[in-house]
Amino acid sequence: MDIIGNLTTGFVAALSWDNVLFCLIGCFLGTLIGVLPGIGPIPAIAMLLPITFGLDPLSSLIMLAGIYYGAAYGGSTTSILVNMPGEASAIVTCIDGHQMAKQGRAGPALAIAALGSFFAGTIATIFVAGFGPILSAFAQQFNSPDYFSLMVLGLVTAVILAHGSVLKAVTIILVGLLLGLVGTDVNSGTTRYTFGISDIWDGIDFLPVVIGMFGVTEIIKNLEAKQYLRDPIKAKLSTMWPTKKDFRDSAMPILRGTALGSILGILPGGGAVLSSFAAYTVEKKVAKDPSRFGKGAIEGVAGPESANNAASQTSFIPLLTLGLPSNAVMALMMGAMMIQGIQPGSAVMTSRPDLFWGMVASMWIGNAMLVVLNLPLLPMWVRLLSVPYRLLYPAILMFCVIGVYANNNNATQMVIVAVFTLFGYILMRVGAEPAPMILGFILGPLMEENLRRSLVLSRGDPMIFFNRPISATLLFLTFCVVLLIVLPSFRKTREVAFQEE
Amino acid sequence: MIRVKSPQDLGAGILFFLLGLAGIYFGRELTYGSSMRMGPGYFPFWLSAIILFMGLVIGLRGLMFDGPAIEMPQVRPMVMVILSILSFGLFVIPLGTPLAIIVLVFIAAYARPDVNILETAILAVCSAVFAVLAFIYGLGQPLPLWGDF
Repeated sequence: MDIIGNLTTGFVAALSWDNVLFCLIGCFLGTLIGVLPGIGPIPAIAMLLPITFGLDPLSSLIMLAGIYYGAAYGGSTTSILVNMPGEASAIVTCIDGHQMAKQGRAGPALAIAALGSFFAGTIATIFVAGFGPILSAFAQQFNSPDYFSLMVLGLVTAVILAHGSVLKAVTIILVGLLLGLVGTDVNSGTTRYTFGISDIWDGIDFLPVVIGMFGVTEIIKNLEAKQYLRDPIKAKLSTMWPTKKDFRDSAMPILRGTALGSILGILPGGGAVLSSFAAYTVEKKVAKDPSRFGKGAIEGVAGPESANNAASQTSFIPLLTLGLPSNAVMALMMGAMMIQGIQPGSAVMTSRPDLFWGMVASMWIGNAMLVVLNLPLLPMWVRLLSVPYRLLYPAILMFCVIGVYANNNNATQMVIVAVFTLFGYILMRVGAEPAPMILGFILGPLMEENLRRSLVLSRGDPMIFFNRPISATLLFLTFCVVLLIVLPSFRKTREVAFQEE
Repeated sequence: MIRVKSPQDLGAGILFFLLGLAGIYFGRELTYGSSMRMGPGYFPFWLSAIILFMGLVIGLRGLMFDGPAIEMPQVRPMVMVILSILSFGLFVIPLGTPLAIIVLVFIAAYARPDVNILETAILAVCSAVFAVLAFIYGLGQPLPLWGDF
């Protein structure tokens, strides 16, 4: 196995002055948007995606990596300082991170989060380089029924990670699948649910949906709560650097988080969210004094942050080998790759090794950039948070509309944003979490296509999903996950885990 | 008289029921095909049917088990924010990006009470200048600078 050779290919392809500059700009903009309260990494990446379109494929992927890390880290900054998790994987970081911030230790929390993430990212990069080719070879045995079962597993796993009612989460995923089918059916050429609107013949664009449901709905929610309008967000940063004791305390959690995240990241549906929850639970279990957790234990920041970063790195494996995005962020990455004319899948590795390995290397470069750029600039980002919300939200709206419009110069897109803002708002009011819908939305057409092919293969017999060993194993795992959801003891743990909001 | 125990669940149930119903109704002319040869209407039909069924289950649970109430939506933030987005779509071509952003910021500002006009004007102009410098010149985004005056 030639890990070093492969990685060298990647770094040689990725490391040019231009690319490093693009990565730097991406990282800066990503943090700028990600740090805005109420904007999680998903809408932040979505908004900035269009600016990478004009570049050549590799530069665009590298800039995207910068944006990705910047947005994720900007999100954690906001979560830790003001206890506003922009996305599910940040919820865990909030628990102890915000307590640390309250004790005036936001600086160490953020530094450990960045350094832990960097370490985890480095290990996970090597992991991807080592296991990518092996899994890619395995992936070539996958056939339509296996893909279908894998997607079922991914979607069912996404249900566990949603807040609130399981029934609502299942239904919202199905709604996502249905919305994903809007547009022209590839097989028959029939348009479906387009109501004669020609702008959605190619399907509803991902960007306005995400921006509406996650960006704009969040603004309306904050405006209704009014408290952000009244008191400015108080965030201060007294000490920046962690103490020796902080480093000692977080070394093992970072290692454990990295290991856990690297493995869980490969699973479909999970990725960052699952691994940060798992890492927090593990840290709490192995701690000598578990009662410190929830009161500002640095282990509770170090473990989950490393885990979710390792996982975000390894969740590239299913995308790059199977062509299946395992979470909403990977779905965005897949969209960006396809716009560059790269069809993610095992073929990329053999046909364009420079791109594949360049992509792996670029994730590491993005991560390194983060440590170089964000830690010194942290005081500036913190000051941005003290800008009153009444001045911030119109600016956030501006970023939203420009992102959407730059992606597709078409006024109809604004109507789609408005419709999905309204839809996201209604879902919020009836207690249904919208996040799982996005995964369904992406997988809708893929799932239909693979179901269709499977049933053609089997002449309409659904037993094909149980007769093929890979598919049967995946369905068995799905069954186990369903059991877990139904099992009373697990339900309780899940409810406790999501209480911290 | 049935008492609604969980308005949120009942609301979600009704919403999903209607979505499922709409999926079936608007997909009624799509060819269903057969399991062996799925038509364009096959997958949407089954998805819609399950959504409709789940809507029923969630709604009925809302009548049986206690749960949280639905908070009253506030009209102003919702209407103004949505209007500001639509205004950008409407004005970006005829007025150009900077002016459309100024309109957007002004409408958005009225999503809350006690608007300070001067402050909003400064914010609007600064946002427009930032957008032009950063997105149009800096990043070369395809946005119209001037409209079709």
